[in-house]
Amino acid sequence: MTTGTDGRGTPPPSVEDMITTHLPAMAATSGSASGSATAPAVIRASGLTKRYGELLAVDALDLVIGPGDIVAILGPNGAGKSTTIEMLLGLRTPTSGEVRVFGDAPNAKAARARVGAMLQESNAPESLTVAEAVDLVRHYYPFALGLDDILARADLLEKRGSRIGQLSGGQQQRLNFALAIAGDPDLLFLDEPTAALDVEARHLFWEQVRGLAAHGKTILFSTHNLAEADALADRVILINHGRVIADGTPAQIKATVAARTVRLVTDVSATDMATFPGVRAVEVAPGESAAASHPTLLVQTSAPEDLLARLFSGGHLVTQLTVTDTDLETAFIHLVGTATGSATGASGTAPGATPDTNPDTNSNHVTEPTA
Amino acid sequence: MSAPSSTAYRPTTSTTDGGHQTPRRLSPEASRMPGALGTLLAQLRAELLSSARVPEYVVGVVAVPIILFTMFGLPNAGQQLPGGTDVGAMMFASMSAYGVVSLAIFTFGVGVAEERGKGWLRRMRATPMPFWAYFVAKVVGSLAFCALILLGTWAVATFGGKVPFDGTRLVQTVLLLLAGTVAFSTMGFSLAYWFRPKAASAIGNLVFLPLSFLSGFFFPLDQLPEVLANVAPYLPTYHFGQLVWSAIAPASDVVAFGAHPEGSPWVHVAWVLASFVGFGLLARAGYRRELSRAAQ
Repeated sequence: MTTGTDGRGTPPPSVEDMITTHLPAMAATSGSASGSATAPAVIRASGLTKRYGELLAVDALDLVIGPGDIVAILGPNGAGKSTTIEMLLGLRTPTSGEVRVFGDAPNAKAARARVGAMLQESNAPESLTVAEAVDLVRHYYPFALGLDDILARADLLEKRGSRIGQLSGGQQQRLNFALAIAGDPDLLFLDEPTAALDVEARHLFWEQVRGLAAHGKTILFSTHNLAEADALADRVILINHGRVIADGTPAQIKATVAARTVRLVTDVSATDMATFPGVRAVEVAPGESAAASHPTLLVQTSAPEDLLARLFSGGHLVTQLTVTDTDLETAFIHLVGTATGSATGASGTAPGATPDTNPDTNSNHVTEPTA
Repeated sequence: MSAPSSTAYRPTTSTTDGGHQTPRRLSPEASRMPGALGTLLAQLRAELLSSARVPEYVVGVVAVPIILFTMFGLPNAGQQLPGGTDVGAMMFASMSAYGVVSLAIFTFGVGVAEERGKGWLRRMRATPMPFWAYFVAKVVGSLAFCALILLGTWAVATFGGKVPFDGTRLVQTVLLLLAGTVAFSTMGFSLAYWFRPKAASAIGNLVFLPLSFLSGFFFPLDQLPEVLANVAPYLPTYHFGQLVWSAIAPASDVVAFGAHPEGSPWVHVAWVLASFVGFGLLARAGYRRELSRAAQ
């Protein structure tokens, strides 16, 4: 079941306003010096627009990313994440707007010498071995990491002699990472980098990315895995339909939307619950039927104490109660769902379906509440 | 001093950041790479390795001319043309010319089209690699495979057929064949850039055999039906064949071999050069079309 159809109740009308009123301040404070117009920026994009016929894939995106920033781009499928990254890389020409990378055009050789990219599709010649392909790409750059060093960082030492055509999906992905870091880039683009990786491989992968970040590298990645954005990024840019919906630290985004999730079984219906003061959203817990007499509800609220006081004083049934920090995933659903009205259609696959289809990340969020 | 610092990263366009440059943040483990020549050599190495490991390539492109010479050239070795040229030497020239044309179509046409289809060329575009290095490595790599074809065919002729070669003519022929590999590279690149990757493979297979027949590589043109023989003078590969036979044998023997050496050699040279330049322009247009399409 999806969260969009039943149990959500009335989307709080205030959230979109909250975003627009809160976020300018957030953007200005996020990411070290990147907000200042005179500070050196790694990426400076203004009015970046990409139109495919009728479809506005990226809509007047303004973006300033400073040195050392770790930025996550979040958004449902078709939100414009990959198109944005490809324009920042100079692989796609914007319909309008401008991009500067290290002060240069993104396709200038000087910029490319400092940029590494992990794209979703980039199959190296199948008859080369892993080590040969990595060594080849090393030689494209003016500076490079050592071959063994790269292979170790991408966890490919054991596969160094394997032909690329024989790699699994996850190994391919790690190879793409190896190729991306070969030139010791100052700016690293990672487009959905962990899509084909298992949990352990993800862990190792992000450890390596953190290592690069520790050297002051700038990292911009797109992901569906919100736990990763939460854990990794110091700045999260939420985009949908090519527009920035929210831009701030994970904590700021969480503070903007419902701060807490109350999970409980009660005799108050989801629809009634949504009318309680301070309640931002109500949904039936994944796996439960909305038609059941007392389904488990997930209630997003800024004031769980008030909600519970009201339930108890009203003599309502309250069992199986937990209160947790709202994870980024929920914030994400909340923002995207609200800001786009009906979150079906082009974006129907991603945000709403994620909690059901990815119990792994979901449980991570509940067990690891972050500040 | 407001002059730009002499870092390795001179901005190639004026910066809009008011001269602010973020400093390079090299990892302690990073080291300086050897530069453009190093890029070219690495590209060449990868080119040779990846081609040599594809059996279809090694057999289909490198071995087939040698096998064909063994099957059709060796039985004719020892026959003398009136001017004293061994028919085996003529067949060496024919099969090698065939090898050059198939090499051009498969290396530059089909091979490049495949790498294009897999997104690897796009991946490379996100790196600072100068794209000429990719093409130059392809050409130099195919010269090495061409040399292998020539060496193999020569060895079969010399040791298997006791074909006597005139040293000077042999050297001229070999140089001409190597030059032909470069000359027809643009034909292959055009194929790669003007057809969809899968279509390029089919068209390559479709084109190279008729091209070889019509150019007289498999049997002399005067044995072809007249209609087809009349097409030949409009094929650059036919003119290439004329040059190759003229290099290996005196004109009278070329006539005796049935390859009618009409016209001045400069006409043949002009055809081959025109093919190189014409297809080169076509390939460049296709490459640019690809660039702007990919950027859409």
